[in-house]
Order: sequence, then C-alpha cells, then structure tokens
Amino acid sequence: MATIDIIADDLVVNVEGLDKLWALKSSLTIPLANVRGATPDPSIAHEWKGVRTAGTYVPGVIVAGSFRNEGERVFWDVKNPAKALVIELADERYARLVIEVDDPRATAELIENAKRN
Amino acid sequence: MGRPRTFDEGQAVAAAAELFAGRSFDGTSVDDLVTCTGVHRGSLYKTFGSKRGLYLSALRHHIDGDVTRVAGEISAAPPGQAVERALAGGAGLGFLLLAATERAAADDEVAAEVSRALDVLDQAFQKDEQATALALGLLIRSRADRPLTP
Repeated sequence: MATIDIIADDLVVNVEGLDKLWALKSSLTIPLANVRGATPDPSIAHEWKGVRTAGTYVPGVIVAGSFRNEGERVFWDVKNPAKALVIELADERYARLVIEVDDPRATAELIENAKRN
Repeated sequence: MGRPRTFDEGQAVAAAAELFAGRSFDGTSVDDLVTCTGVHRGSLYKTFGSKRGLYLSALRHHIDGDVTRVAGEISAAPPGQAVERALAGGAGLGFLLLAATERAAADDEVAAEVSRALDVLDQAFQKDEQATALALGLLIRSRADRPLTP
C-alpha cells in the first residue's frame, strides 16, 4: 500500500509499512509535469510483469519493486489487485508506477486534476 | 526505450469512441479497452497516458467525425427541416450526449469539448441555439421513447 500526495508541483508517493522492505524503496517524488495520467486498473496485476530487477515477487501475494518489461522499467507495490492504480510517467527512471492505494478512483481524480491546474 | 508502436492509433481511438459511447466512461474498464482496440495494455498507457487521456481523444474523434457530419446534414437541410435532420442523424450524437451528462460537470476539458461540439451544432442551425437545444432535448426524449405530443 502507498499514499499519494500532491506537494507544490510534485507527486509524492510514500510506500507504507513493510512494503518499503519488499519494494526496496520508501518514497518517490515525481514532478507533475512528468506525470502523464492515472488510471484505476484492477486487472493489470494479472498480466505478465516482466523481469524483476529489484524487490519481491510472490505470485498471488505481493508484487513490489522494480521490474523490466519490453524495455520499460515499471515500479510495483501491489498486494490487493482490486486497489491497483497505474501512473504513467515521462522522462523518469520508471515508465510507469503500479501501486496499491486505498481509493484508486479518488486518487486517479486527484492526480488528473492536479495535472490540469 | 519501449517497443516501437505497432498499432494504428486512429483505429484504436475510433474503437474506443464506440465503446465509451455505449458504456460510458465509468462503465468502461481498461480490460474492455484492451479487448476492443486489440492494443496491448502497456501501449495504451504509453500512447494515451491514462483511460481519461484515451477518453478525451475518443471524444475529439467523435466531435470531428460524427458531430461534424450531422452538422453538415443539418446545414444542408431544406428550410424548416433542420431539427428533423438532426433527429434522423441523432444516433451519431450519442457519445456527445453521454459526455455532456456524465463527465462535463466533473472534467473541465470534457466540458470544453462538449462546448466546442455545441458551437458546431449552433453554427449548423444558423446560430439558433434554441434549435440545438430542441434537437438535443428531443434526442434525450427519444431514448425513453417519449416524443413530444403533437
């Protein structure tokens, strides 16, 4: 699970609790200008995730850390696929973040609104 | 570096427009979009940024295509038959009606696109906004099979 905050012109992702250990990362700060969009996507966790380069992957239990798929680096922190949110990035280390948040729909709207303002 | 794009973006947007027109924004999942466009999930995100990004592209496609076509039919109608022409082509305005009611109040970019479409229709009706309102109102009534009583 992670929390998302918009602080000034940045999107800040805080990885919570033990997920920090599994994902080998505690937070990510991305300029909003490099955020292309956010989408709740409960099915993405059922797709092939690529090759794990750092972190933890126990199928059906947890996907956390950095994965490489079709030339793209994707950061995952998902235990409950129903709460997965996809954040698409540009010009960042990660092409995409797939993270579990408490309310994917509201968080997607928060991010999309922040991008427009 | 990702895999080079191997799909026709225009075709994907057209397929998505049809889906959103039938199922609304909230009723369409990313799985639905992947299935109907035939485009890989990662490529959809890479190209459009989000489901909302694809929705906006699909709405613009609908306005530039269907709505503009219906507007052309309205403009070409004989005097007194413009509203009838709009109703005859009304199936082509379905996505616009849905976007106006579902998303325009919550999303200012959708509202701007809906406003642009209304401008196109107003122009077709010789700047008679009441005629646009009547045509769209009648289309909404027709969805419930409740035409105006003659």
